[in-house]
Parts: sequence; C-alpha cells; structure tokens
Amino acid sequence: MKRNNLRSKWLDVKDLHGDHQVRFGQHLSYQFQNSPRRILYMMSYYKFASKMIGKGKKVLDVGCGEGLGTWLLACECGWAKGVDLDCDAVEIGKNNWKDQNISFACSDFLSTRQQPFDAVVSFDVVEHINPDNMDCFWQKISKSLARYGSVVIGTPNITAAQYASRIAKAGHVNLYSGERLENEMRQYFKHVFIFGANDEVVHTGFLPMAHYLIGVGCGKIIQEKKVNQ
Amino acid sequence: MPKAKQTEKRLWARVKNKLGDEQTLMGKHWSFNLYDDPKRLAFVLSRYKFAAKMISRRECILELGCSEGIGAPVLSEFALSYLGVDLDGNAIDAAKHNLASDKLKFILDDFLGKKYGKFDAVVSLDVVEHIVAENEQLFFDAFNNNLAEDGIGIIGTPNAVAKSHASPTSERGHVNLFDMDRLRKEMQKIFHNVFVFGMNDEIVHTGFSPMAHYILAVGCNKKNRVKT
Repeated sequence: MKRNNLRSKWLDVKDLHGDHQVRFGQHLSYQFQNSPRRILYMMSYYKFASKMIGKGKKVLDVGCGEGLGTWLLACECGWAKGVDLDCDAVEIGKNNWKDQNISFACSDFLSTRQQPFDAVVSFDVVEHINPDNMDCFWQKISKSLARYGSVVIGTPNITAAQYASRIAKAGHVNLYSGERLENEMRQYFKHVFIFGANDEVVHTGFLPMAHYLIGVGCGKIIQEKKVNQ
Repeated sequence: MPKAKQTEKRLWARVKNKLGDEQTLMGKHWSFNLYDDPKRLAFVLSRYKFAAKMISRRECILELGCSEGIGAPVLSEFALSYLGVDLDGNAIDAAKHNLASDKLKFILDDFLGKKYGKFDAVVSLDVVEHIVAENEQLFFDAFNNNLAEDGIGIIGTPNAVAKSHASPTSERGHVNLFDMDRLRKEMQKIFHNVFVFGMNDEIVHTGFSPMAHYILAVGCNKKNRVKT
C-alpha cells in the first residue's frame, strides 16, 4: 500500500518533467564514459562564467562543442549562441536545444563576422589554436564584443600538462601559464581578472598550482591603438 | 636524548634569529576580535587576499575604513603604495605604530565626501554597513571620486540576509545592510562592469547569493557621464 502510494507520487513528479530528451553526441559520450568528472568541471566553469556575465545578456560561446555549456549560459544569462568548427557536435546541440534563447552555428570563429555580444565565453579553445593565430583570435573576440562587453576565457594550466591524458595532449599546441594569459589579455582588455580552478572550485590561489585557468576581461582596448603597435 | 634536544634548540634559534625583534600590538578593535572570535581574522584576511588578487598589479591603493590596517599588508602585496583612512583614532594609532612605512601610510579622517587623490584601486571592506542612510551618497562619492578612470573599486559587506546571525556587537554597528541586488545596483551606478561574489567564511564563490554570508562587488570601467 505504502509502496503504491510512493509510486503514484513519483509518477506525478514524472509528469512534470515533460517529454524532452537530451542526447549526448560522441564527444560528450566519450567524456561521460571515460572521464565523467570532466563534465562536472566544465559545467562549473560555465556556471562561473555565467555569474561573471550576469543576467539579461547576449552571450557568444566560442568552441561550444555539443552546446551543453551554451545551454547553461542561455538559461543563466538570458540568450546564448554557440559556434564551433565541428559540425557534428553543433548538430547535436541544435537538436537538443531548440528554445528561443539559444542558437548554434557551425563556423570557423576566426573567419566569420559576429554581431556584437554582451559577452564572449571560450573554454578549452585557446590551447588548440596555433600561437601564430592568437592575435587574430583576440582581435576577433574584441570585435565580437560590445563596448563594455566582457570575455571569459578558460584553458588548462601549462603547469598541469604533465598530468594530461594522451588524447588531451595530442590537441594542445598552445598552453598558457597564468602569467602569460594575464599578459596577453592585458594587450586587448583594460581590466583583467585571473582565477584558478582545481576541479570544480574556482579560486584566487597561487596560480602555478591551479589545474585550470580562467581569465575575465573587460573594457576592450579599441582596435586603432593595437594596429599602431 | 638531551643532546638531540640541544641540536633542535640550536636549529630553531637559527630560524628565530632571522625573524627580527619586532612585535605587533593590536589596538582595541582587533584585540577584541581576536579574543571574541579569532576565526574572524581568517575571514577578514581572506577578503583582503581576494581584493588583492583582483587588483593584481595596480600601483596605488586607497582603503576607505582601514581600521588598524590589519588588511594593509595583504591588500598591498602587489602594489607600490597604500593609503588607509579611518575615523577611529585608536585604530589609526595602532596601524601607524605597527605598519607605517614608505609604502604604507595611514591617516585619521572621516573620509565621507573627501578626496585624497586618484588611486588605481579603492577598496572598502566592512564599512558601508556602518554608514547611515543619509550619508550613503557621500560614501559612494568618496569611493568614486578617489578612483582613477581606469581604476577598480571593490566593496565588501555582510549580506543583509545573514542579519539574524550577527553577533550583538556587530549588529549594533550595522545600520545599512545590503543584499546582493542592492550592492550590484549601487555599483552599476558607478561602473559599466560589475562582478559580484559571495563569501561563506574564508571561501569566495559565485553560488546562490541569498545563502552567501558576505558579499563582494568588483567594479571597473567607470561611467563618467550622469545617466539619464
């Protein structure tokens, strides 16, 4: 009797859930099977970004992958667009999230024009970009931002490279130290705040011992100044 | 056995010799805090550390409401100069006695509405909650007017929602408590960009703000024109 009651209660709850099903593509599925904690860390970085950006903002997520984090940004900040080179991944995102407050595009961020956004977020992207293209990357970020827009960039700390998995190592051609991330961001943004993260905890501790780095920048330095250098 | 002890004692003496002879005598405020609730030192210094990391390499720092300068060394670690202002004479005496140097300066003054220069960073922790409502604007004026155009401003204050847990001594002084929304709104009047953080004890985080014991806002990119 008691069991039956509980069961019917749960069915009521279930009804509230609706029929929406979310599908993980090959990238998230691989992580989910092989390093499931990575997904938790990633979502925690996205949460941190959303809190830095605030409510009622339009956010661009560069290197959105399958768009799980883009969805968090859309929910927390108001509106988000995800872009990625990997069209299969973007397709997964598009199919999962068809809401008004989110959109996706499969495109090369470095060569596509973007509308100005209130904020640009990019996690685990810069370490895959050829160092020669970084100036182009930062300029592109800057151009994609409104005058007082903010940027949140996350990347593994170079000091943790020795612990990276083989598969991660293969793609990392441009690893940053906290110092380098700060110096580089300061060329494009007047204000830069550097955070470290160990697992899901974002902090301001001694940077060489941070597993992951998150740079927050705002007050973009207007293009002309940059060209004169 | 006694010989080994002798060696360790000598070893320790060598360490001790390097420490210098200076002693630090706390003033009334921090002596009370250290007796009453020593944990507070951890929380307070952790707020200063967070502020210092946000300020990063900026050169000149102004602290409005520095009390005994307990946070000055942490706050100014990466800076060239630091000025602390407070209206508590006993506290400023202690600060001067313990800390005054070429880098760290302290002045006794009621900073409301005052100007001391243009600083790269202005920090005010645990102050605004002590400012009566009719003087609140003067507080924010001082905060804003002392800050250089490219400077950053940091305000920290106990969360209004934690009021019921405050100690009787704190509660008596708290006449103007802020919650996150109100702090953010005030800061957004001054800055284009405002980042807010919550704190529980020594941990700074970005969790659900009504459950944060303490709140902090970091502002930058000043708005110069009066918004219509």
